[in-house]
Amino acid sequence: MLEARRLEEQPELAVEAKDLTKRFGKFVAVDHINLEIRRGENFGLLGPNGAGKTTTIRMITGVIKPSEGYVKVFGIDVAKERKKVLKYIGYMPQKFSLYEDLTVEENIRLYGRLQGLTGSLLRERVRELLERFYLWEFRRRLAGKLSGGMKQRLALATALVHDPALLILDEPTAGVDPPLRRKFWEHFRELNKEGKTILVTTHYMDEAENCDRLALMNRGRIIAEGTPREIKRRALGGDLVEIVFEGHLDPTALPGVKSVLEDSRERYLLIVEDAGKDLPRIVKKAEELGAKILVASPVHVSLEEAFIRFMGESE
Amino acid sequence: MIELEEGIRKGLRIIPIVDKEIRQLVRDPKTILMVLLMPITVTILFGYGYGGKGVGKYPITVVDLDGGDGAFKFIQELRNSKMFQIKAIYKSKGQGFSSVYSGKVYASLVIPETFTEDLMEGRPTRVELYYDASNPSVAQMIMQAVGVVTQQFQEWAASRFGTFAITPMFYTVYGPKIKKIESFIPTLMAMILQMVPTSLISVSICREREKGTFEQFIMTPVSVFDIIFGKLTAYFFATISDATLSLFTAVLLFDVKLKGTFLDMTIVSTVFLLNSLSLGLLISVFSKNQLQAYQASIFSFIIFMLFSGVFIPVDVLSTEAKMIASFVPMYYFVTAFRNVSLKGWSYLMVLDQLAVISMFTFAFLALSLRFLRMEVT
Ligand SMILES: Nc1ncnc2c1ncn2[C@@H]1O[C@H](COP(=O)(O)OP(=O)(O)OP(=O)(O)O)[C@@H](O)[C@H]1O
Ligand SMILES: [Mg+2]
Repeated sequence: MLEARRLEEQPELAVEAKDLTKRFGKFVAVDHINLEIRRGENFGLLGPNGAGKTTTIRMITGVIKPSEGYVKVFGIDVAKERKKVLKYIGYMPQKFSLYEDLTVEENIRLYGRLQGLTGSLLRERVRELLERFYLWEFRRRLAGKLSGGMKQRLALATALVHDPALLILDEPTAGVDPPLRRKFWEHFRELNKEGKTILVTTHYMDEAENCDRLALMNRGRIIAEGTPREIKRRALGGDLVEIVFEGHLDPTALPGVKSVLEDSRERYLLIVEDAGKDLPRIVKKAEELGAKILVASPVHVSLEEAFIRFMGESE
Repeated sequence: MIELEEGIRKGLRIIPIVDKEIRQLVRDPKTILMVLLMPITVTILFGYGYGGKGVGKYPITVVDLDGGDGAFKFIQELRNSKMFQIKAIYKSKGQGFSSVYSGKVYASLVIPETFTEDLMEGRPTRVELYYDASNPSVAQMIMQAVGVVTQQFQEWAASRFGTFAITPMFYTVYGPKIKKIESFIPTLMAMILQMVPTSLISVSICREREKGTFEQFIMTPVSVFDIIFGKLTAYFFATISDATLSLFTAVLLFDVKLKGTFLDMTIVSTVFLLNSLSLGLLISVFSKNQLQAYQASIFSFIIFMLFSGVFIPVDVLSTEAKMIASFVPMYYFVTAFRNVSLKGWSYLMVLDQLAVISMFTFAFLALSLRFLRMEVT
């Protein structure tokens, strides 16, 4: 759309939050967080229940006002010029917020009209979205009568009705079965390809692996940020590798080794600076020391594990 | 130029909101029940309770001074005509006369002492109709109907007893000018125009807040003003249609005669309806959920009814109660609407009341707009 094209001359950052804070009375729900979401990326916001994800998102969408700090979306201050920003944002709240006594089609139409679409443009857009999200055959069904997964698809379709450049999705896959979850992430990837920026929250770590970058929140603060790989490395303090060998070996004598995670006779789990660089050096050194290496490979660490480590640290 | 364009698009944004509200309204069976059925049911109940008269069948009484077979046959004929509903058969003229005078029935038909005898003898005879002249059109219909029945009866009697004539004689009686059913109309309108819009709008706003639908709504470029104005418009039309429908029910079913013009009554109703809507807004500001909003609407409605003079005239209330009444917009409406609908005043003659009602409206609106938050919590 025209609006999206005009954005290309605008700043690199889709979202920029600085010292963003929200207090509810004395309780600090979001505590001086800084966020930078780049244009076109898929940014995941993770954290346990009550971490402050939804509160952060609501400040980004301008649904609530920050107690301190600011958010800019495409360089526009949300608190000051909310009206201007709205057309760039498509928002899918955590709680289903469409009208249950309107049909699927009526909901999308209503939001299309509220966004200023009329006539054949509106009709086309509604039809396109209904088809794209497999809602066509349910278009006459009341939204309240839809299954959880269908409700989420409808909410996504509605969030996209004005073709926004930034999509903010608060737990879009909550209560959605695995095949449909995968489908959702395929949609997200497509939307990213179209040049849209996505900010998404989730409790599913396997999904979060698909994000370009992540921020981990706990108790209102961001405790880690980076690509999934960076986050895992930071959680462990390096890469995890496994070594199986015959003979005798002192793991601390090996190059690049930062710590030993597991030591079970002839099998080590080691944390090294950088698996790619260090593994060949380790093999070489071990053989020099007279041990026969049977296996030497990087170990996949789940985000979940990294997550739990970070959480433990921040307690 | 740009401003103008903005303005046009802004204006248009209200249409989808009105559209949405009407759809939701129509789809909610509970609301439909309250909005449509309640007022009409009340109209019908009060109509019968207050002695309203159904069309087609005119309620009359018969005074049978004759007591013979001829009179019996004539009464049968009246019944067969399906135009009358015979409420009572009396033995004295006085009873018949007072049944008309009190406004209970439209007319009383007297069959004289010698009716059967005259028939048998083939002498000319008569029936006497005492009708309520304060209701000329109904009186006209009744006279015609009696004429027809008498004519038929005469033809039948002529074939059996020989030629003679039965003359219907008509006498006027003045019943009470305004009957109870008419005086109930301002009360009915006050009920519809107060309870329906106030509860509809306050419940609708609270429902959005409760269900969290505002969170999506305020992501569009609509303003708080658009939302409120959209809802006001939708419920305005819903209530006006409801009031019109109830009024027509009363007119058609109970032959209510109103002196006020449609325009005057509409103007007065509109002023009061806007007041009820703004009261609903105010209630939604201070209610936490739909139930509270509904209860507050009903509660204010009851208070308003008590102090509006529909049950007890305000003049006979204590000084304190009069004070309260002076803060009840419905009191001014009932006064104004009574004068307009029953006495046929122009709305210009009740401008004082309308001004007071509007003052309340502005106060409610100002308070609501000041405190109404669309922000999610
Ligand atoms: N309006 C409010 N008033 C008071 N406290 C609030 C309000 N909204 C949120 N909170 C509190 O702020 C904290 C953060 O809530 P938030 O909804 O942002 O968490 P979340 O990370 O989205 O959690 P979840 O994963 O469960 O959705 C919670 O402790 C919550 O109780
Ligand atoms: Mg949340």
